Amino acid sequence: MTGEKSTKLYLPENEDFSGTQAFGTRVVTTVRYSTDPRDVGWVKENIPCQTACPASTNIPAYIRSIVEKRYGRSYELNRMANVLPGVLGRICSRPCEDVCRHGWPGNGEPVAICHLKRVAADYKSPSHQINESLFTPSGKRLAVVGAGPAGIAAAYDLTTLGHNVTIYEREKNPGGMLRYGIPAFRLPREILNEEIRNAVRLGVDLKTGVAVGTGENDVSLKSLRQDFDAVLLSSGCMAPIELPLRKNGLAQDETSDIAGVEYGLNFLVEMHRGKTKTVGKRVAVVGAGFTALDCARVACRLGAEEVTIHLRTTEEYIPVTKEELFECKRESVNILGLRTPVELLTHEDGSLRGVRFVQNRLGGWRANGRRLAIPIEGSEFDIECDTLLIAIGQKTVNDYLDMPLELDRWNCIKINRQGMTSRKGVFAAGDFVGGPSTVIEAVGHGRKIALKMDRWLMGGERRKQVVKVESVGDPLRERAFDFIPLQEMPTTPVKQRFNDMTTEVEQGLELDKAEEEAKRCYLCYLKYEIDVDNCIYCRACIEVAPRDCIKLVEGIDINKDGSYGLLRETSEWDKTGAIWVDNNECIRCGACYMVCPTRCISITKMELFYQNVAEKNHGVQEDPVIKGVMP
Amino acid sequence: MKQSRRYAIIGSGAAGTEAACQLRNHDPDSVITVVTTSKLQFIDRYDLPRVFDGVDDWRELLVHPPEFYHDNKITVRRNTWVSSVNTRENKLNFRHKETMVYDKLLVASGGGGHIPEGLREFSAYLNPFTTFQNAVRLRDSLGKQGKVVMLGGDMVGLDLARSLTAAGHQVTIFANETLFWPHEIKQADIAQYVKALEAMGIKVVFGRKPVAVEQISRPSKGTSYSRRLVFEKGKPELANAIMPFYGLMPALNFMMGTGVDIERGLLVNPHLKTTNDKIWAAGDVCQIWSPEDNRYNFFYGWANVKKMGLIAAHNMTGGSTEMKTSQTNKLKITKNGVLHSPYWEHD
Repeated sequence: MTGEKSTKLYLPENEDFSGTQAFGTRVVTTVRYSTDPRDVGWVKENIPCQTACPASTNIPAYIRSIVEKRYGRSYELNRMANVLPGVLGRICSRPCEDVCRHGWPGNGEPVAICHLKRVAADYKSPSHQINESLFTPSGKRLAVVGAGPAGIAAAYDLTTLGHNVTIYEREKNPGGMLRYGIPAFRLPREILNEEIRNAVRLGVDLKTGVAVGTGENDVSLKSLRQDFDAVLLSSGCMAPIELPLRKNGLAQDETSDIAGVEYGLNFLVEMHRGKTKTVGKRVAVVGAGFTALDCARVACRLGAEEVTIHLRTTEEYIPVTKEELFECKRESVNILGLRTPVELLTHEDGSLRGVRFVQNRLGGWRANGRRLAIPIEGSEFDIECDTLLIAIGQKTVNDYLDMPLELDRWNCIKINRQGMTSRKGVFAAGDFVGGPSTVIEAVGHGRKIALKMDRWLMGGERRKQVVKVESVGDPLRERAFDFIPLQEMPTTPVKQRFNDMTTEVEQGLELDKAEEEAKRCYLCYLKYEIDVDNCIYCRACIEVAPRDCIKLVEGIDINKDGSYGLLRETSEWDKTGAIWVDNNECIRCGACYMVCPTRCISITKMELFYQNVAEKNHGVQEDPVIKGVMP
Repeated sequence: MKQSRRYAIIGSGAAGTEAACQLRNHDPDSVITVVTTSKLQFIDRYDLPRVFDGVDDWRELLVHPPEFYHDNKITVRRNTWVSSVNTRENKLNFRHKETMVYDKLLVASGGGGHIPEGLREFSAYLNPFTTFQNAVRLRDSLGKQGKVVMLGGDMVGLDLARSLTAAGHQVTIFANETLFWPHEIKQADIAQYVKALEAMGIKVVFGRKPVAVEQISRPSKGTSYSRRLVFEKGKPELANAIMPFYGLMPALNFMMGTGVDIERGLLVNPHLKTTNDKIWAAGDVCQIWSPEDNRYNFFYGWANVKKMGLIAAHNMTGGSTEMKTSQTNKLKITKNGVLHSPYWEHD
């Protein structure tokens, strides 16, 4: 009966215990759903990967499902937050891995969270059944402009909320930057097609090849607003930022008129539209993001003999994953730092001869967390090349809007807290709002705006974040798991990559490796607590703790949301108010739990996800009762 | 009571050891700890080819005897890997989970042989030449008249190549643009230097790109070759050992994410101070700002590296000396028609 006892210790009596399941006489699990800000605060404080994920993916849960060999469940847990797990499992920018507790000083390498997302997608059963939690039809008609990641994610959520959604996409196929910006050797098109199909098949009317704009055959935004109850603009950032050069008699917009000079985004989009692209023998790429790396790798596949990426700062400060950088170098791309292009050099016939750079030194930090590069006066130098691909950033295209909408200082659409633009009923999401970001940010934002649209349309919140609180009778991990090394992603031999443009480079983890990698996850959603009333202060837990994670405290600060904050530690027994598990230091090895003679240490699983609000409380803002089960 | 200053030095090569000696002179009461991944105390890399002359005992190659460190109260922690540097709390985190506090830190971790990303997966079949153990292993794998294939070629590799040919082994270099690294050679001059190499018995082949290294588990009758080098095009090359020499790459993975500025090496001012007030750098790991050239430069070679150790120690103890090199960078052909590099000179 210890499970029941330890559970009741931290569940207030007035809580809902309806989820308790009993088998025979022994209580094996107790579940409750909480909207208490203290529980939400605990999750945000203690599960760094989920907090860092723009889509709030329940990462520990889907990784645990892989250890349990439940790949379908793992996929569905992903899909609850992000409708494109197979896609993001390949090309995510991985903000979660940057903050993974396993990568904290002294803990080793972060868990390969992204690779494990792909494992869920790759190893789910061929007859896997997708679980959808659908609202009844609302009768509302919504238009979404743009079938990129934000538009697809929003359309999917809006459909499950019962709305009738139509997507307008100007390209022949949906996907936006996923299809037209990312090469197939990083993102196979069959995966993209499958996941988009799954997202829209609930009844989304996908109109491709139909542009929203002011042209003769275009659909105007005004007419959309008249015909639909609400419109979502998610047309992304589909125009390249011009290369700022010193005044050399060349107008900015003339740079791409030079034979051999092209904007990287246009280069990739045209190639993916089916146009044959060529590059010279010596290719220079300027830019530091995924687009720059993709341009360089495509150039290698098009037969360039020497490809060099020129960075304003250095490799350490560019916003791409280390693996992507490594694969780029493996394909013989040179990467040179601390230089800014200032002038394009041309032959007499007007074609590109080279680029003049100025040497930089590193400066301070920019507001966006990137490094400043400060040009050094008089340090110009030239490099020779016959192709220059410019990939220094992207911006929104606003000329299709036939109604005035307020813009911010970066020329992006401004939205209010409801996600609405300055025009009533017109919402905006993804890169079209905040400027260029990552795919997972676009998915996360699309989803958030979808919920805001629903709230505006239906007059109340119908889906909200809850914490599923569940007692656990086992640490779920072993200390030995902490010593498993990071499992490397197998890749296609370099020689075979250049046969065509579609051979996928990353091959996916083999199953045994995937399970080993999944075991490395600390499962930060497990909350360890000591019942101080039952603790006999024997110190056994402190003796076995591998880190300084169990502490004598004389007090604890309380955060604004009511969750526990900073521990005020003491080393003197007479000042000790409690013995406390510092969940931030804890690596969930379970050693303390196993050794405790009075079983006063409890483990609780805390899972944050979106849950539909029960019908009887629809529209009620105060203290809604949340019920339901995980798919 | 005044607490002794704690100096930590990462790296026990020429720069690190020189700095440790100088720190002891400048700050006699300090606590000096040298942390090194090496299993042995400081062995001069330039002396490693002596194993081909029959030197079997590593003690003969030590630059300083063990009592030197004892007498100077310099603690050398061997076989110790720094996994990261906590610049907020001034701590070194070791791979074995221990931490060590410092007041001032000198990074002198040197440069490791660079292996191009395309060949990294074959590292297990490549023979490095950085430690005494590597040198002995190479000697044993070559036998009496072995065949060595070098990839790339740089001044470290060429230094070894001349020792190998002198010891009766056959050396072939599949060269690329790093053949004379770190010398910057004009295209027109390359032919004469290659000729000088050939006069030294070293064969140089251009234009063949290696793509894979394979192990030969059952050598053909009459041969002892255990490695096969596969090229992008053409026939594979067999050898007893395949050695990468593509220049040096600063060994500073443990400095990533510390907030200290890095390009290829740790970026330092002419006083060898990094962008962190408590961290200096010396040797092949650092790129030094040159106000004259308006850029960051690497300074290679024994004399430069040793001088950097000396200057860093001086500045860590309150001095203000700028690093300036007097070493020539000129590659020469001697009267005998053989190549000579200033980077081969040492004490």
